[in-house]
Amino acid sequence: MKNIRLLVVIVLQIFPLLPRASAGEAASKLGDLSEFRTVVVDTQNFALKGDLAKAKIRVKDLETSWDEAEPALKPRSAKEWHAVDKAIDRALEALRANPQNAELCKKSLAELLSAIDHKEHLN
Amino acid sequence: MEHSSVQPAPSKLNKVPEITLVFWLVKIMSTTIGETGADYLAVNVGWGTAITDVVMSIFLVGALMLQLRNRRYVPAAYWLTVVLVSIVGTQITDLLTDNLGVSLYTSTLVFSGILASIFFFWNRSEGTLSVHTIFTLRRELFYWGAILCTFALGTAAGDLATEELGLGFRVGVVVFLALIAGVGLAYRFKLNAVLAFWMTYILTRPLGASLGDYLAQARKYGGLGWGTVNTSLGFLSVIVLAVTYLGFTQKSLEEVKK
Repeated sequence: MKNIRLLVVIVLQIFPLLPRASAGEAASKLGDLSEFRTVVVDTQNFALKGDLAKAKIRVKDLETSWDEAEPALKPRSAKEWHAVDKAIDRALEALRANPQNAELCKKSLAELLSAIDHKEHLN
Repeated sequence: MEHSSVQPAPSKLNKVPEITLVFWLVKIMSTTIGETGADYLAVNVGWGTAITDVVMSIFLVGALMLQLRNRRYVPAAYWLTVVLVSIVGTQITDLLTDNLGVSLYTSTLVFSGILASIFFFWNRSEGTLSVHTIFTLRRELFYWGAILCTFALGTAAGDLATEELGLGFRVGVVVFLALIAGVGLAYRFKLNAVLAFWMTYILTRPLGASLGDYLAQARKYGGLGWGTVNTSLGFLSVIVLAVTYLGFTQKSLEEVKK
């Protein structure tokens, strides 16, 4: 029995005919994004407290680490990578605007978080 | 003074190096620096892409002037130009992809077309595409134009394969090495030397990028975890050593046989 189950698992790994993971689990094809999520949450906390200067400094860490990981993450799912990448671009743009628009910063960070959590682009 | 010195060199000295193993090794390492160098300045140093693009283009024009002005092959000037062409060629594709939203399929096709037309006009004007007889200004401009184009094309085609189509850099290293080996084998069996050279020139671009990614990426992502900065600095040091070595032992002072 165990062997058969193993065989099924192997076959499914090689031929993923069925869509992976039920939509409820919302597992990102990009894999573990918690490291990036932490930075977004930090940034968001600064923004919610009204400290946009600190938010702008913290978001730099996201830009750097996301850019560094591009060769590893993008091949996993170019489509999902682009979705998160665009959301990051919008957040960077809002936080680096002069003058910063607090509402826009908060909104773009909230959208970025849901992009990372894979809520907006489930198809 | 500027003008007179950029006239076609009257001598018959080849301005570009002979194709050796060292040539390819240095070329592949230049590629990695092209991939990571500009990115480092734009993101880590914080210049942003616009300023980095402008600064690198100015450096490239300067290096190219220096290279064109030389009357013979000088390794330092030649390889400085290659490194900068590599950076700017990568930037052109990245600019199209990231800022203008051009798909990698489109840019791969467009750069293939531009490269083909450079070869067409080069061949029509000079009657040869040989890289062993680059001794006039016009030939040298064709040469550098083609090289810039191969870097842009190599970036587009390479990113298409490894990132959009999901090959990844580990499989990428193997695939591009195999393709290059295939070209080498075909060359043994009488593939046209000019074609073999330029195909290898294009393929070594994504090979260098995948290899650089493999060395630089974190272990959790399947890389060796050297980091982009260390990888680039390491390659840059090896290039400087190799070019210094070439400077002492270069053979291209030999007159080109007519």
